[in-house]
Amino acid sequence: MKRILAAIVLATLAIGYAGVPVSAQENLSAAEHRRLFREGAKLWPVYCNTCHNARPGSEKAPYEWDQIMMHMRTLGNIPPDDANAILVYLKSR
Amino acid sequence: MGYGKLRGLCLFFGALWLIVPLHPASAAAPSEEQMLRRIMREVNELKADKQQDEEKIQDLEQRVGAIQNQNHQLKEANQKLQTDTTAKIATLQTKVDAPPSPEEFGGAFDRYLGTHTFTVTGAAGGQFVYNQQNAALNNLHHDSQNSFFVDWEPMILYRPTDWILFQGVISTGFGSTGTGVDLSTADFQILANKYLTVVAGLFDQPFGDWYETQSPMWVNRFVTAPLPFGVESVVPPGEIGVQLRGGMQFGALGQDFDYTVWGGNGPNYSSTVLGAAVSSPTSVASSQSSGKSIGARFRVYPLPLEKEWGRLELGASTYNGEWNNRDWLTSWGVDFNYFIDNLQTRGEWLEAYRQMPNGQTSDNRQGWYVQAGYFLGGLNVPYIPDQLNGYLQRLEPLVRYSGVNQRGVSTDDLAAATGIGLGGTQVGLVPDFGINGSPATYAPHAREVALGLDYWFAPSIVWQNEFDIELPRAGGVFVSPTGVETPAGATPNDRAFLSQFTVGF
Ligand code: HEC
Repeated sequence: MKRILAAIVLATLAIGYAGVPVSAQENLSAAEHRRLFREGAKLWPVYCNTCHNARPGSEKAPYEWDQIMMHMRTLGNIPPDDANAILVYLKSR
Repeated sequence: MGYGKLRGLCLFFGALWLIVPLHPASAAAPSEEQMLRRIMREVNELKADKQQDEEKIQDLEQRVGAIQNQNHQLKEANQKLQTDTTAKIATLQTKVDAPPSPEEFGGAFDRYLGTHTFTVTGAAGGQFVYNQQNAALNNLHHDSQNSFFVDWEPMILYRPTDWILFQGVISTGFGSTGTGVDLSTADFQILANKYLTVVAGLFDQPFGDWYETQSPMWVNRFVTAPLPFGVESVVPPGEIGVQLRGGMQFGALGQDFDYTVWGGNGPNYSSTVLGAAVSSPTSVASSQSSGKSIGARFRVYPLPLEKEWGRLELGASTYNGEWNNRDWLTSWGVDFNYFIDNLQTRGEWLEAYRQMPNGQTSDNRQGWYVQAGYFLGGLNVPYIPDQLNGYLQRLEPLVRYSGVNQRGVSTDDLAAATGIGLGGTQVGLVPDFGINGSPATYAPHAREVALGLDYWFAPSIVWQNEFDIELPRAGGVFVSPTGVETPAGATPNDRAFLSQFTVGF
């Protein structure tokens, strides 16, 4: 049992390891910001509607979205790039 | 000026030269030659003076030229300075006039607020339950009931760095069964890398969709839980342990795959008899667990976003754990969730097999539900006032069918499950969702049709109304604390009405 668990942990770490920063929100160029915003606007009505009604960006302050999106990303196992785009979109609304 | 002086002197001496011969009789006068020499000397001196003056004039002329040149340059520089200043003032003016961009403002405001790492969210609700209990189950007391309840479930999110999040929910409820407080979840979420998040602590069971993503009051479209996740849980509602999880895109945008694998403390049951209730980790009725469980859940979203075919989620889960130190619970389930425009549907099927001690037959359970809801957002009834149409467009009619089959039900659990409303005293339940309290929902072969009508004030503010029709099937047994089995016999067809106002914040 313990061996199975350890194997799963190691395998996941090995597969998952990409050495990339987990959230790269700061210092976005204006063009990159626009691209993410547009992508987030496309993803939000679908991804954020999967489990409950999509909650609009205006409901929360930007710093709250940082925390809530991390929570939602975990619950929904949302691919990180998509979660990032949605976060940019939510924070700008 | 030099010329003037020179000219004056010439006139003077010329006149003198003319005057002198007019007085030759003067005996003391110098000789003519002397005079001439003197005049010549003076003329020479005058010439030298003139030369000097001319040089001075030249020098001065040069200086004037230089000064004029400098003056010109200064004028030009001044002109340039003036133009530059005007342009700069104009830019500053436009900057001052233009409002800051949302990002600039957001950034400035964030700085003003300081580093915020802490947020309180959660849910609150008030509920009214009327339950018409038509007949007894296993000769237990039955009585039609009606009661009000309130429930408050604050959640704290704490994010000290951008890769660690703590989240914790405390559930508090007040109603006819008393006040209850319970720790629903409390865990750390650590972003290890792009494809791996580690979750450690007390969490909702990631088996299927219900416990983890559908149980909060404002998320669940109904007031009650579907039968296999409510009073007759097929798998444990929560777990203490560690999860590894992540998701990735496998095709076009929207085509995702995700995984969750976890290990933990293992299942607990209210007793060692057939049909005993599965309990949540925080309301451990008896501790039969030896700290072993392993689970896995996979979800796939096959539809690409740009096709606009809606969103389809297909999931499969398994959860296996040792209980009572040697016997195993094995369970598996499949689920789906599909929505397009105003239509939303979901459903789950789950099965569990529990090895039993003391030569008892194995405790097998099955459960399922399917539900559908349709937002009337697009509705426009002719000949009625716009305002009325506005109200109608906020409605979501719903229907759900759920059922559980289990071999037996423990009479101890039945006796303990007395209340209606929001969990609290229910054996093994996390009090996150309402229950109608009908004895019929505890039948070994419980079935329920639930009709719902939700009125949405906002995406997470809703007034929910639910009408439950209990249709339990015959069959199954009741099991006494000593393991004596009696056939379930007749089961009551109860009705219940629940109305709840709830806010997710
Ligand atoms: C996998 C299901 C799922 C997805 C996808 C999802 N949510 Fe949630 N969300 C939940 C659940 C469950 C809760 C309630 C958490 C609780 O009470 O334990 C929640 C709560 C929230 C809250 C309340 C604050 C909080 O952290 O509890 C907000 C705001 C929110 N979600 C926004 C979003 C946004 C924006 C998205 C899109 C990126 C999203 N959600 C996607 C399941 C989901």
